Parts: sequence; C-alpha cells; structure tokens
Amino acid sequence: MTWYLGDLIPYMPLLLQGLWISIYISVLSFVFGSVLGLFAYLAKASRWRVLRGISGAYIEVVRNVPLLVVLYLIYFGLTQFGVNLDPLWSTLIALTINNGAYVAEILRAGFEAVPKGLREAAHALGMNSAQTFRYAILVPGIRNVFPAMTNQFILLFLFSSVASVIALPELTNQLLRVNSETLRTFEVFTVGALLYYVVSSVLAIGSRLGEKRLFRW
Amino acid sequence: MVGDFVQFLPALAKGAGTTAILCIIAAVAGSLLGLVIGLMRSSSWAVVRWISAIFTNFLRGIPLLIILLFTYFALPLLIPGAIFSQMVSGAIGLTLFVSAYIGEVVRGSIESVPKGQFEAAEALGMNFAQKFRYVIMPQAMRVIVPPWVGIILAMIKDSSLVSVIGLVELTQAGKIVGTSTMEPLVAFVLVGAVYFVICYPLGHFGRWYEKRLKASGFNVPHQATATDILDEEPGPRVGGNQ
Repeated sequence: MTWYLGDLIPYMPLLLQGLWISIYISVLSFVFGSVLGLFAYLAKASRWRVLRGISGAYIEVVRNVPLLVVLYLIYFGLTQFGVNLDPLWSTLIALTINNGAYVAEILRAGFEAVPKGLREAAHALGMNSAQTFRYAILVPGIRNVFPAMTNQFILLFLFSSVASVIALPELTNQLLRVNSETLRTFEVFTVGALLYYVVSSVLAIGSRLGEKRLFRW
Repeated sequence: MVGDFVQFLPALAKGAGTTAILCIIAAVAGSLLGLVIGLMRSSSWAVVRWISAIFTNFLRGIPLLIILLFTYFALPLLIPGAIFSQMVSGAIGLTLFVSAYIGEVVRGSIESVPKGQFEAAEALGMNFAQKFRYVIMPQAMRVIVPPWVGIILAMIKDSSLVSVIGLVELTQAGKIVGTSTMEPLVAFVLVGAVYFVICYPLGHFGRWYEKRLKASGFNVPHQATATDILDEEPGPRVGGNQ
C-alpha cells in the first residue's frame, strides 16, 4: 500500500462542499435546538405539573435513546403516516430534537448554579426587578452556560456525520462516495478525519477565546 | 399487525444480544486502554505525555462514525491479507473512541487526589508503580465511577453507529424488522425502548453515586468535554484541584 493523495485533489471541492453542508445543518439545528431547549427548560422549571412532566419525559427519553434511532424514526417511521420527509429535513428535525434536550439540561444546570445570594445582594443594593434579573440572574447564568453550549455545538457538529446514513450529502457521505470512486480508502478517511478535527479544534479555540474575552470579570 | 411483531421479536432480541457483547468488549478494553492513556499523562517523560495528549485530543475531535469507517475499511489495508469482521472492526473502533474519553477521566481523577499524597509517597521512596498502585489509584478510583458511568452510557447509545458498517446489532435489527414488516415506526419505537430501559437506570445510578460522593466531600472530576480538546499543558498536572 502506497500513500498517494494526488487522486483526491479533483475531489477536494466536493469534500469542502460536504463540509459546508455539515456546518450548515449543525448551525441550523443548534439554533432551533437552543430555542426548543429554552422552552423545555422553562417548562421544566414551571409551576404546572403537567408541563414539568411533559418536558421531563422529553428530556429523559431523548437523552437515553441513540440519535440514530431518532433519525430512523423520523426518516423511516413517519412514512407509515404518509409523511415523507427528505434527508435534509429529517436530519434537521432529528438533530433539533436531540440538541433541545441537551440544551435544556445545560440551561438548568447553569442557571441553578447561580447563587441565590446574588439576588439578595441585588435587592440589598436597591436594584429593581429588571436590573436584578439582568445582573443577578441572566448575566451570571449565561456565563455558566456559555462553555457548555459551545461544547454542545462541537458535539452536534461531530454527530451531524450520522446524517450520511440517510444519504444526505454531507462530509461523511461525500467521503464514502469519494472512497468508492478512487479506492484510496486510507487517504480518504485520513483527510476526512483531519477536516473534522480542524473544524472542531477551531471551534474549541474560539470557545476558549470567547470565554476569556466575553466574561472577564 | 401485533402478531407479525411477535414473530420478529427473536430477531430484535438477537440484535440486542450483539449490542450487549459489543458494548461489554468495548467497555472492558476501552477502560484498560483508557487507564494506560490516563497514566501516561502523569508520566515523567515528556514524549509519553505528548503521545497520550495527541491520541486523546485527536480522537475526541473527530466523529465516531469516521473512526468506525476507518477501522472497517482502512485498517485492514495495513495488515496484508487481513479481513476484519464487522464485529471486530466495530469493537476496535468503539474501544479506541471510548478510551480517549476514559483516559481523560482517569487523568481528572488522578488530579483530584491531593498533592500532598504524591509528595508523601515520594518521600517514602516509592517508585512510579508503587506510588500509583498503593497511594494514588485507590483514592482516584472512587471518584472515577460517576464520569465512567456517563461515558459507558454514551457508548451504549453510540454503539448504534456500528450498524453503519453492517453489523446486525439492535438498531440494524430494528431496521431489518421494520422493513420486512412494513412497520418501521413500531420497530424503531421498540428499539428505542430497549436502549431507554438500559440507559435510564444507568444514568440514575451515576447521578446518585455522584451525589453521594459529593456529600462525603469528594472532588468528582467532570466528564471530558469537546472544548477540552485543546486543554494542553501536557505536564504532570497532579493534585491541581486542591
């Protein structure tokens, strides 16, 4: 076996296009999932038992079932109801549902970790309720949540590779295609791994820098 | 409709069995390899620390699916004439993946042991092996349980990806049953329920144990996260948390 990358050069645009789709679906489902997660968290923290129950069940079920099974349920399972979703929509829905449950947990842990004393201190300083919410709940809460959220985004990006199994032409799917066309198996998957690694490292560096810049107090 | 299902339950049960075997192999092998990786991180030789750091960081920065495709398609090419079965490739891929996370947790739990313990062991003239065998590891092993359970739980769910390289484990069995009965919805709900029944109690146990440890004042290391990818400084970072 000899190492030769030359065969891959014509396919680089295809791989980068796949990478772009991976990033694109990750960003979209992260945004949708965060909104869903926020609602799930609010429902979990609400006074109504029914809401708490529904939200709790959603979070627990999603966190204890593989993403692949959720994806199959949406892509294959829903066809029984006559709902035929294309791979892109199925992936977006599955990743959103998945991400929502994890975000809800991150928000709960982050906001619960804000000490109550901070709120009492804000009151003692004569802050009104809007100020108290902003300085004694929201800002410290976001500071707790930020690293976990960026971490969740990286995991989501890595897990978006699962979409390749339902033939969404993202990076992993393109790698499989290039592999079958060039038969440069070793080189193809090494390049693929490096592409994923570079993106996740850049995200991790960005997260570290952001953490230092945004919350320096 | 329900009658159809009873007929296919043995197939699902067989798939669940394959998943169980795969997970047990990967959990045992991954824990052993992870222990070695974690201990290498505390070595006094910089080269060893670097190898461990690069291994961990790289494996945690790429998707499990890529690792599995690599071990299935590319790895056999390195050994002329070798053909790996899906089970072997899946087990190797899952082991490598999980060992990177366990290695990080081993490092975290070694760090949670107070620095004075290391110094005391050295003052008694213990060598590296004695120090870890008699002083550090007994203390580190206690706090390792909750994050280890978390990793194993994630691994059980992630093992569903081995279906992509064609191993008929639980998820793949569900797909086959769903296709042949034309009832994919019921099949995947059943499959999901099996994963849930295994993972839910495991998660509860982990959290319960963590609470208990924290109540007794232990410093439980957090689970390795993706942003730790760049957590460099591969020096012997021991006793840092005290």
